[in-house]
Amino acid sequence: MPDALLEFKNVTMRFGGVTALDQVSVEVRQGEIAALIGPNGAGKTTVFNVITGVYSPTHGDVEFKGQSIVGKKRSEITRSGIARTFQNIRLFHEMTALENVLVGADAHSKSSVPGALLGLPRKRREERAAHEKAMELMEFMGVSHRAHALAKGLPYGDQRRLEICRALATNPELLLLDEPAAGFTPVEKELLGEQIKAVRDRGFTVLLIEHDMSLVMGISDRVMVLDFGRKIADGLPSDVQNDQRVIAAYLGVPTDAA
Amino acid sequence: MVNPLTTATERIGDGWRSLPRAVRWLFTAAFVAFLVILPMITVPILNTPDSDFPTLLFDKIGLYILMGIGLNVVVGKAGLLDLGYVAFFAIGAYTMAQLGVLAHWSFWVILPFGVLMAMGAGVILGLPTLRLRGDYLAIVTMGFGEIIRITALNTDWLGAARGIPNIPWPSPLGPLSFDNILDPKPFYWLLLVLIIIVIWALGRLDRSRVGRAWEAVREDEDAAELMGVQTLKYKLWAFAIGAGIGGLGGVMYAAKSGFISPDNFPLTLSVMFLAIVVLGGSGHIPGVVLGAFAVSYLPERLRGFTEYRVLLFGAALVIMMNLRPEGLLPRRVRGRVASEEIGEPLKGVDNA
Amino acid sequence: MDFSTLTSQFGSLTFDGLVLGAIYALVALGYTLVYGVLRLINFAHSEIFMLGTYGALFATQWMHIPPFGDNRTGLSLVLTLVAVSLVAMTVSGTSAVLLERIAYRRLRRRGGSRLTALISAIGASLFLQEAIAIWRGRNYEAFPRFLEKKTLFTVFGADIRTDKLIIVVSAIAMMWALERFISRTRLGRGIRAVAQSPETSILMGVNIDRVITLTFLLGGIMAGLAGALNEVYYEQTRFSIGVILGMKAFTAAVLGGIGNLRGALLGGIVLGVVESYGGAVFGASWRDVVAFVILVLVLMFRPTGLLGETMQKARA
Ligand SMILES: Nc1ncnc2c1ncn2[C@@H]1O[C@H](COP(=O)(O)OP(=O)(O)OP(=O)(O)O)[C@@H](O)[C@H]1O
Ligand SMILES: [Mg+2]
Repeated sequence: MPDALLEFKNVTMRFGGVTALDQVSVEVRQGEIAALIGPNGAGKTTVFNVITGVYSPTHGDVEFKGQSIVGKKRSEITRSGIARTFQNIRLFHEMTALENVLVGADAHSKSSVPGALLGLPRKRREERAAHEKAMELMEFMGVSHRAHALAKGLPYGDQRRLEICRALATNPELLLLDEPAAGFTPVEKELLGEQIKAVRDRGFTVLLIEHDMSLVMGISDRVMVLDFGRKIADGLPSDVQNDQRVIAAYLGVPTDAA
Repeated sequence: MVNPLTTATERIGDGWRSLPRAVRWLFTAAFVAFLVILPMITVPILNTPDSDFPTLLFDKIGLYILMGIGLNVVVGKAGLLDLGYVAFFAIGAYTMAQLGVLAHWSFWVILPFGVLMAMGAGVILGLPTLRLRGDYLAIVTMGFGEIIRITALNTDWLGAARGIPNIPWPSPLGPLSFDNILDPKPFYWLLLVLIIIVIWALGRLDRSRVGRAWEAVREDEDAAELMGVQTLKYKLWAFAIGAGIGGLGGVMYAAKSGFISPDNFPLTLSVMFLAIVVLGGSGHIPGVVLGAFAVSYLPERLRGFTEYRVLLFGAALVIMMNLRPEGLLPRRVRGRVASEEIGEPLKGVDNA
Repeated sequence: MDFSTLTSQFGSLTFDGLVLGAIYALVALGYTLVYGVLRLINFAHSEIFMLGTYGALFATQWMHIPPFGDNRTGLSLVLTLVAVSLVAMTVSGTSAVLLERIAYRRLRRRGGSRLTALISAIGASLFLQEAIAIWRGRNYEAFPRFLEKKTLFTVFGADIRTDKLIIVVSAIAMMWALERFISRTRLGRGIRAVAQSPETSILMGVNIDRVITLTFLLGGIMAGLAGALNEVYYEQTRFSIGVILGMKAFTAAVLGGIGNLRGALLGGIVLGVVESYGGAVFGASWRDVVAFVILVLVLMFRPTGLLGETMQKARA
C-alpha cells in the first residue's frame, strides 16, 4: 500500500505467560490521524512501547519509512522521526516547562560537550533555534505563559499539553499520543481535538490512543480496534462504530471471535 | 512546611539574580580577591588553632571542594552513584608521581596528562557499567576503587606498599614560584585558579543541552532516552568529566605532598567525597562548597571531635536522608516547591 | 601467573573455596532477601555481619574461653558452637531490625528514592564501623580457638579439617532451614507475596511492615551465623572486617541472581571456589581483584545472574 509511514507487521508480544499482542498488524499512513482504541488492557500502550523500542517484539517486525526499526536504540528511533507522550505523565518534574521542551528540541542538535565548552558558533545557533522552536510550540499548545515554572507545578491539563510540546519539539514525522485527553473536561477535550487537527495540518502524522469516543470519532481519519491483544477492526470511524464485534468488545460480551 | 533555611537561601538567590550584571561581576571579583589574600591574612573566626591555616586551605578545603565539584557532576547532575571516586584521585596522583619521578616530565605537562589518564579510566570503567541499574553501579564503582588501591599496593613498579617518594616540585610559572617547600600558598593559588576554571567550564555545560541531558537522565532515564537523549553517551561524558576533575585533584595532591602511597586512597575517602556532595545539597556548586567546608574545615576547627568525625558523618548522612534529602542548600527553589526526590522512586516502577 | 599450584592442589583449593563460599552465601542471603522485598541494596548489611563476629567474640569471653589450649570435643564442642552462634545471631538479627527501623523505615514510608535510601545505608554503615572502631580500637582482636583443627580424612587430595567441615555443614543446614521456613510457613508466604507484588499484598491484608521486619531479621540471623563461622575459621576480627566480605557476598548474590535464595547459595559457592583458584593462579594478594572482576563480568554479560531474579517480577 502506498504512503505507509509506519507498518507494524504481525507483531506478537509476550510477557511471560501474558500475550499482550497477538499477531497484530497496524499501519499508519502519511498525513493521517489514525486512532487506536480498545478496552483496558487490550494492548494499546504495548503497541506504542514496541514502536518506540521499549520492548522488542517476540515475533514480527516494525517498519518506519520502509526500514525495520526493531532492535534500534530508543533514542535512535526518536531521532529518526517518532515521538510519543505517556499515559502516565512522565515530564522531567524538576525542570522548567521550557527546559522540558528544550530536551525534545535538543534531539537534533549536533553540538555536544566540546561545542558547549568552547562556545562554538554552531552551538549558539542551535541553542537559539531550539529556544525559538520551544517557545513557538508552547505558544501553539497554549502553555507558553508557564514557560518558566517547574513542570511539576503546572496544572494537570498543562502537563499533558506540555508533553505534546516536548514530543513535537523532536520534529517527529509520526506523533504517538497515549490518552492525551485523559482526565479532561468536555471543553478541554474539544480544544485538544482542534489542536491535534492543527498538528496534523502542520504536516505531522498522528497515531492516537483514546478512550473518549466522541473525540476519536470527531477527528480520526481511520480507527483501529484492539481487544485482548488482537486487532478486531480497522476502517473509517463510521464503519467501526457500527461493527458488531467492536460493540461486543466494548459491552464486554464474550466473543468467540473467528 | 516552611523551612527557614530554604526561605533564606531562596531570598539570597532571588536578590542575587535581581542585581544588575555589572554589580554581580563586581561582587564576584571582590570575593575572588578575598580568596586570593585569604592565606596571608588572619580572619579570627576562620582561624584553626591546631593546624596551619594556609596549608589547610590547600589540602583538605581546596582539594575537597575540587573533588566535591567533580563528583557532583556524576552524582548531583547525572544522578549516577559513584562510590569509588577515590580511584580517579589515585590515578591522577600516580600519574604525577610516576611521570615526575621516572620520566622527569614537567608538572605542567603532567597536569593535563593526568586529567586525560583519569578520563580514560572513567570511560573504560563507564562503558561496560553505565548500562547497569543505579544501585549496581554503586557497588561496581566501589569495587573499582578497591581494585585501583589493591593494584597499587601489589605492584612493585608502582612502589607497592612503600609508596613513591621524592615527587618533583613544579617549576615556576609566571608569578607562581614553588621553590619554598614549606610554603603552601602557591599551590593554593594554583588550585584556586583551577577551581575557578572548572566552575566556569561546568557552568557552560550546565547551560547547554549537556546540562539538560544530565538533568533529564537523572530524573527519568527511560523518558529521556525516548525523547531522543543519547543517555549512555551523556552518562559517559558525566563520568569522564567527573573522573578528569578527580584526576586533576590527584595530580595537585601528589605534587604538593611529594610522597604518595596506597594508604592515601582508602575507601573511606570515596565516602567522604560523597558526603560532601550529599550534605551540601547535590547538584549545585554552593551546596558542594558548603559540604566540602563541613567535611574538611569543621573537624580541624573543632579539634577533639576529629576522632568522631567519620562517626558523625555517618550519622549525618542517615539523618539528612531521612529529614532533608535535598541537602542543606537545596538545589533549585524556584517555583517554591520543595524537592523531595532524587532519582527513581523506591517502589512501584511503572511501565513506560 | 602460575598454574602449577592450581593443578597440584586442585582438591584442597576446591574445598577451601567451598568453605569461603559457604560464608559468602550466608551473607548473600541477607542481601537477596532484602532486595527481593524492597528492591534495595542494604549497603549496611556488611556491618551486620561485622557485629555478628563481635557477638561471637563476646560470647567466648562470657564463657571465659582462654585464647588457646581449651580444645573441646564432642557434646561440649557442639554446645559451645551453638552458644557462640546463638549470641552472634541474636546480635546481628537485632541490629538488622534496628537498622531497618532507623535508616530505612521513614524513607520508605515517604516514598524516598533509591539513591536516598542507598546514601542512608552508607551513612549507617559508616556509623556502625566507626562506633566499633572507637569502642574496640582499630586493630584486630583475636578469637580464641576452642577446637582442635585437625584433618579428619582426605578426599581427592583435600584435607577435610574439623573447622572447615563444621562451617560447610552448618551453613548448608541453616540455608535449608531458611528455605523451608520461607516456602512452608505462613510468615514465609508473606515474604514471597510482598516480593512478588507489594501493592497486591497490601490489598490482601499482608502487614507489610511486619514482613519487612521479618526479612531483615532473617537476613541478620544468617549474617550472624556467618560471623560466628568466620571467627571459628579466621580467628580474628575488627571494625572493617565486613567491607570486603560484604562486597563479595553482594557479588555472590548478584552472581546467583539477586532476589533468588538458591541463587545466593550457588553464587556464594561459585565465587568462593573461583576466588580460591584465582588466588592460586595470580597470587593471594590478587584474590579480591579476581572477585571484583567477576562482579563486573557478571553484571555485563548476565545482569540477572545464573539462576535469574525469581523472587520478584523483573520489569522494564
Ligand atoms: N511490562 C509488562 N510486563 C508484563 N505484562 C505487561 C507489561 N506491559 C503490559 N503488560 C500486559 O499487557 C496487557 C496490555 O497492556 P497495555 O498497557 O498495552 O494495555 P492498554 O490497552 O494500554 O490498556 P489501558 O487502556 O488500561 O491503558 C495487559 O494485560 C498488561 O498487564
Ligand atoms: Mg494504556
